Amino acid sequence: MDDGFAEYVAHRHLQLCRMAYLLTRDWGTAEDLVQTALAKAWLAWRRIEGNPDPYVYRIIVNTHASWWRRLWRGEVPAETLPETADPRDLAAEVGERAALWSAIGTLSPRQRAVIVLHYFEGLTLTQVAGIVGCSLGTVKTQLSRALARLRVDPDIQAMNVEGAQR
Amino acid sequence: MRHTESDLRALLTEHSQERAGREPSAHLGAIVRRGRRMRRTRQAVTAGAAAVLAVAAVGVGNDLLTGAPRADRAAAAQPPTHSAQVEPGPKLPDSLPVRLGAEKSDLSLIHSQRFETMGVARTVSFTPTSSSTGFKVVCDDPRAWVVTVLRLRGGESGGGTARCGESAGAHHDRLSAPSDWLKRPQSVQVWVFPPDAPVQEVAKGATGCPKKAKQCDETARLLWRPEVRERLSAKLGELPGRWAVGVYDRPAGTGSGPGGEPSAATGSPVDGASATHH
Repeated sequence: MDDGFAEYVAHRHLQLCRMAYLLTRDWGTAEDLVQTALAKAWLAWRRIEGNPDPYVYRIIVNTHASWWRRLWRGEVPAETLPETADPRDLAAEVGERAALWSAIGTLSPRQRAVIVLHYFEGLTLTQVAGIVGCSLGTVKTQLSRALARLRVDPDIQAMNVEGAQR
Repeated sequence: MRHTESDLRALLTEHSQERAGREPSAHLGAIVRRGRRMRRTRQAVTAGAAAVLAVAAVGVGNDLLTGAPRADRAAAAQPPTHSAQVEPGPKLPDSLPVRLGAEKSDLSLIHSQRFETMGVARTVSFTPTSSSTGFKVVCDDPRAWVVTVLRLRGGESGGGTARCGESAGAHHDRLSAPSDWLKRPQSVQVWVFPPDAPVQEVAKGATGCPKKAKQCDETARLLWRPEVRERLSAKLGELPGRWAVGVYDRPAGTGSGPGGEPSAATGSPVDGASATHH
């Protein structure tokens, strides 16, 4: 049984691993997650119509959520994000990025999946809703809560771009 | 300090590409093999015959009597953590469907024991009621590795190695059960290791496996080697991880059929076993 499965794996494996890494934050687990997802996809390959990506994404997200519930992850989320003195300071900027990455790790699996699918994979929120298996409204709520936790403000993007252009 | 969506996109891209060392490579063969295992498991469950590994058909070693004691001694240094009193955790089925040839039947749960940690050898003692005794291990993490070691008729060891969610366990029949199986209490030795246990790394040290990774790529096969399990146990120590083992058998007195075929199981579960922590 092949029907393009080998080609799909060859073309998409690396990107799927990268996406899975953003969910799991561990490369070994990410590879295991992708292999599990692709094995499940292989079983259903002939029944998948059109682009297999949403189907595979969905398996990855659901499998990760089930693993996440079962595993002790050894993560110790910070209660608060570290404040920095001067946002223009290079060291401070590195600290802020580290803080943002750390904050992503504190998100729930569902929120993290929404963030990764929307901002990393570039999917629309409607597509994200189809993958995580909930309504568009729920996805918007999850996204809003996640962005608040990450201190990402969509409204200040334009302002910052303007500031950078000056 | 607040971030922008652009910051977030850039950060995700940056972290997704900063893999140190090799890039993840696709192993189509491994994916397909895993898919086939899943399909077999699903088919077995559908047929009502999951969770059975015929002891005689599985690899034969000699480690129950020779390899286990060292690991058991290492485990003895740990606090006793077997926990029959702990209620939450993975749930064992009340019965174990088995298939011998065309015959199918259900074995009843006669003993179970729960553990809160993994990484060390556990020996569970019980009193079998027939020669068709079966075992099943369930874990909080279905990806955990489970090694089940039993004594076979010829004195050698049999059992199996599998991911916990992939029918981890073993099963005796009339031909595989030792001749004294029903004459005295018996035991089964179970090892549970975390899914990401560095099996290949340990195996290289234990067996001199060549550096070429592919030759050390079969985790299940490597875990069957007692020296690998011992080294792995010593390296990992006792780790948190809940699992349970169930012993299944036919009610006493029903006996094996002439061909060792199990007959219909009746009666309620009876705890006729005792447990030992090493």
